[in-house]
Amino acid sequence: MESRHIVPLDLLQLTYAYGLILLSVALARLCGIGQEKKLFWVSIRMVLQLLAVGYLLNLVFAVRSPAPVLLMLLAMTGFSLQVAGSRIKKRMPHFYRVVGSSIVIGCGGVTFYFCLLVVGYTPWFDPRYLIPLAGMIIGNAMNGATLAAERLSCEMHDRREEIETAICLGADARQAAEPALRAAYTASLIPTMNTMAATGIVALPGMMTGQILSGTEPVIAVRYQIAIMCAITGAVAITSFLILLQGYRQYFTKAHQLR
Amino acid sequence: MVQLENVGFVRKRPGGEQAVILDGVSFCACPSNITGIVGPSGSGKSTLIRLINRLDDPSTGTISLNGDDISTVDPLLLRRKVAMVLQKPFMFEGTVLSNLQRPFLYRNLLPPPAGSDEVVRVISLVRLSPDMLEREARSLSGGEQQRVNLARALISHPEVLLLDEPTSALDRPATDSLATTLREICCREQLVIIIVTHDLRLAERAADYLIYLEQGMIIEEGGVSEMLAVPRTVALQRFLAKPDKEEE
Repeated sequence: MESRHIVPLDLLQLTYAYGLILLSVALARLCGIGQEKKLFWVSIRMVLQLLAVGYLLNLVFAVRSPAPVLLMLLAMTGFSLQVAGSRIKKRMPHFYRVVGSSIVIGCGGVTFYFCLLVVGYTPWFDPRYLIPLAGMIIGNAMNGATLAAERLSCEMHDRREEIETAICLGADARQAAEPALRAAYTASLIPTMNTMAATGIVALPGMMTGQILSGTEPVIAVRYQIAIMCAITGAVAITSFLILLQGYRQYFTKAHQLR
Repeated sequence: MVQLENVGFVRKRPGGEQAVILDGVSFCACPSNITGIVGPSGSGKSTLIRLINRLDDPSTGTISLNGDDISTVDPLLLRRKVAMVLQKPFMFEGTVLSNLQRPFLYRNLLPPPAGSDEVVRVISLVRLSPDMLEREARSLSGGEQQRVNLARALISHPEVLLLDEPTSALDRPATDSLATTLREICCREQLVIIIVTHDLRLAERAADYLIYLEQGMIIEEGGVSEMLAVPRTVALQRFLAKPDKEEE
């Protein structure tokens, strides 16, 4: 298949697209279901955020140096940590240290493994690859991390009697926390597993759609999609695992006592 | 023998405020003896026995088991010697037998089968029928669950058995039956048994020695029958006069 150029959307075309949001706002107002103000301001926020990112990416692409790329990855990690923290009501002790280090190790490791070994482009910091790939990996891992941390916190609270009974029967902290860890790990992987199961049948994934629109052959786009799904699953699994591994210990003392 | 010397426990509240739960508690509990700890709600009696198997650590003082300071003993090894039955009998999913096998799994040992000496010994100690081994543990009555709870604690051959309000979910006949069972277990296994209870009926029927705790301090102690018949302190007299001891 011949590679074609993508249609560059101008302001008028974007206005047509935004018309759909305005239609939704009008519909919500007309039917009195509410949410129209929220919908409108969220859409404005989305436009501003994306425009800002677009210009920032242009700048980073133009500089062609590892420093701004790594700085951007660091900002993405920090932002994901802040989002994860704000979503959780009942946080585990030392939440930011546990989740932050897990995201850095889990996502950082998977991103560099994927970019350097699987895709193998040069230079290693090429923002055209590194930023979108890391963005997808961090974004998905953040969701997994949030689910793992929140579920662990709830399970440790709800299973207090079970955990103390196990400790009284001679279990160490890990053995006593095992049912809670199992439940939290399962919860963190469910969205990723659901996405994998539905990919290609229920919906075409965003990255693949974007590549096809920009002229990439569907078969190559599919290969990229398979590879990125593997990377996302790995990042979610490793990040959640690290959170749970460090997280359950925060609930116990060195003498295997529940705090 | 379990010995407590000048044991204190301070709990930090969320605002940073400190609450004194136990203050200068000292007593000794000997093998083949049952020590009952009674007192009103919030007197620190449950906290006290949690310190003996290191579910919590004391802020001051020492607790020793057979002369060894328990703070120097590996808590996992200590809990094999000092078994504890919590107030609410938590049953793990599965049969009664699988619940009895739990302590072995935690120690990475081969779990004993239904007909094994260990299982037969504990179910006869707590007067459970062998037919119950294959029953779903969570489907049992409160009294039966408390017996499984007791059997599960005894299967590891502990030297000390701690019971926190074991009759809180039991009716009077079940309480009396448990008191008899505990007396039998104490004699046959030569255990140190410490029971925390607000149930004076259980204390009277099961315990040899009684400690009355109020606001984290021992107010009065002595033989059960003397203490209940002729309380020396006003605090104990007041406690004994209350119809519902937990309401105080």
